[in-house]
Amino acid sequence: MSKIEINNLTVDYTEKKKRFTALRDVSLSIEDGEFVSVIGSSGCGKSTLLSILEGINTPTEGEILIDGKPVEGAGTDRGVVFQHYSLFPWMTARKNVAFGVEQVNKRASRAQRLEIADEYLDKVGLIEFKDKYPSQLSGGMQQRVAIARALAMDTDILLMDEPFGAIDPKNRSSLQELLLDLWEGDGSTARKTVVFVTHDIDEAILLSDRIVMMTANPGHVYSEIDVPFDRPRDRMSLLQTSRYNKFRNELVSMFYSDVADRIGGEEVVL
Amino acid sequence: MTFKQRFFRVVHLLFIVLILVQLLPDKLPAEVCTPYVVWFASGVEVLAILYCAFAKNKIGTELFSDIVSFVYGLLIAWTLTTAKLNVLKPSLFPPPGRVFRQFIEDHEKIVINILSSVGIILQGYLLALIIAIPLGLFLGWSARLGSAATYISKFLGAIPPIVYIPYGIALLPTFRSVSVFVIFLATFWPVFAGTLSGVMNVEKKTIDSAKVLSVGKFTMLFKIILPASLEQIFIGCNQGLTVSFVLLTSAEMIGAQSGMGYYIKNYSDFGDYTRTLVGLIVLGTVIVVISYIFNRVQKYLLRWKQ
Repeated sequence: MSKIEINNLTVDYTEKKKRFTALRDVSLSIEDGEFVSVIGSSGCGKSTLLSILEGINTPTEGEILIDGKPVEGAGTDRGVVFQHYSLFPWMTARKNVAFGVEQVNKRASRAQRLEIADEYLDKVGLIEFKDKYPSQLSGGMQQRVAIARALAMDTDILLMDEPFGAIDPKNRSSLQELLLDLWEGDGSTARKTVVFVTHDIDEAILLSDRIVMMTANPGHVYSEIDVPFDRPRDRMSLLQTSRYNKFRNELVSMFYSDVADRIGGEEVVL
Repeated sequence: MTFKQRFFRVVHLLFIVLILVQLLPDKLPAEVCTPYVVWFASGVEVLAILYCAFAKNKIGTELFSDIVSFVYGLLIAWTLTTAKLNVLKPSLFPPPGRVFRQFIEDHEKIVINILSSVGIILQGYLLALIIAIPLGLFLGWSARLGSAATYISKFLGAIPPIVYIPYGIALLPTFRSVSVFVIFLATFWPVFAGTLSGVMNVEKKTIDSAKVLSVGKFTMLFKIILPASLEQIFIGCNQGLTVSFVLLTSAEMIGAQSGMGYYIKNYSDFGDYTRTLVGLIVLGTVIVVISYIFNRVQKYLLRWKQ
């Protein structure tokens, strides 16, 4: 049994009296401890897919099973990091993390929750900033806190919706490496199952075990590609190999061949 | 700040001028009570020097000394036009010393009247907050009830609360209960409307962030929706406070046997304008202090905003 089983998911939206299909007949299974990136151009439904996994949207047809049980609404078995606004601006970094811990673990005392919060803020390198409010932190730091909260909640599944999409390139690289380090861990604990939405091909290759490529009109899975690089991964050594470039080129051409098909076949020159 | 910036200020010069003015011969035949002005001004000057000595930023020092300068300027003009030159009608414009002396003589009566007014305001105001905020949160959270409640509060809130006074008198036994009732209404509607609009305009992203943590209904309302709409709620609270003071003092001038409005109205009826001025100054000070406390509370609770 897979950790997450997505069966024939279809999502229709009605906007301004026009009905359109965001996702059509999407099926996907994700194994326990697998890191899966969902990649595609805007409008391909990748964020819609994630919002259904998060439980804040409901599908028109089809279902999602987690550990064999159908998903109904949000749940504390899934930690979520959004691109923006995951944090509550009226709570300090520490309180934000502790608040997440409180929701999954009602029995923990206040002191225990704060202790867990401090531990994870330390892991993301922000322990000195624990008493700052989100408005006093940079975008990259806010995402670090959001990651700390998602990890501190210690859920089996981590859902990330373009978490580094709004971060400048330099900080984005360090956040990717931080996530990679924390997720790969030291082997003492089981790895979490991650569904990671992005539009950055390099990010997807660096982080994932498998890449799910989606296309638009209507949104569906175009292809699934296993990433053939050993772990633990290191960006610098990965970038130097010729295999990396070859693999990346394959992905890019796959991405564009689909776009070309859709716009006008042979007539489009890329 | 340099020593010069701290202590070489116009405000201290004005203090010296004010003291020198007090030394001029009096032209007013009646009692003038010059020592009271000197004591008051010296007290203010001590405060000003302490403030200048310990202030950390320049803008704050400038603001403080400008305000004190204004007070000194006013006292100089007041002393000159009354006690020293006697150009104003003495029965309507008592010299400042007499007002200060009257304040000290009456201070017990004044404290009782202030406590009476502030007590009524606090009772009506806090009662309104305790009911309006949770009710606004619950109704606003349901989109359907929230829109209906918005229209209803627009209608009922549009009625000026002062017109409830006659009805309140018929309904309720004492002046005090009528005042509390009217202040309750005057505060309830703006706070209720502010809470509703705050709740209904909470960003969807904030709500989604809370939903994915699968928070309970109570946590959602009081730990997420309440702080997220706090700024709008405060707009209503502020409006309620302002209207409450206007209402209460007007009501006290009409029908009360206590309170600052009563104090002012009562003595002006007897032509005692010294006490009328004492009442005006005290009332102004009380309102300034309460608004200051209110602003500090607001600033503290919204400290997470940039």
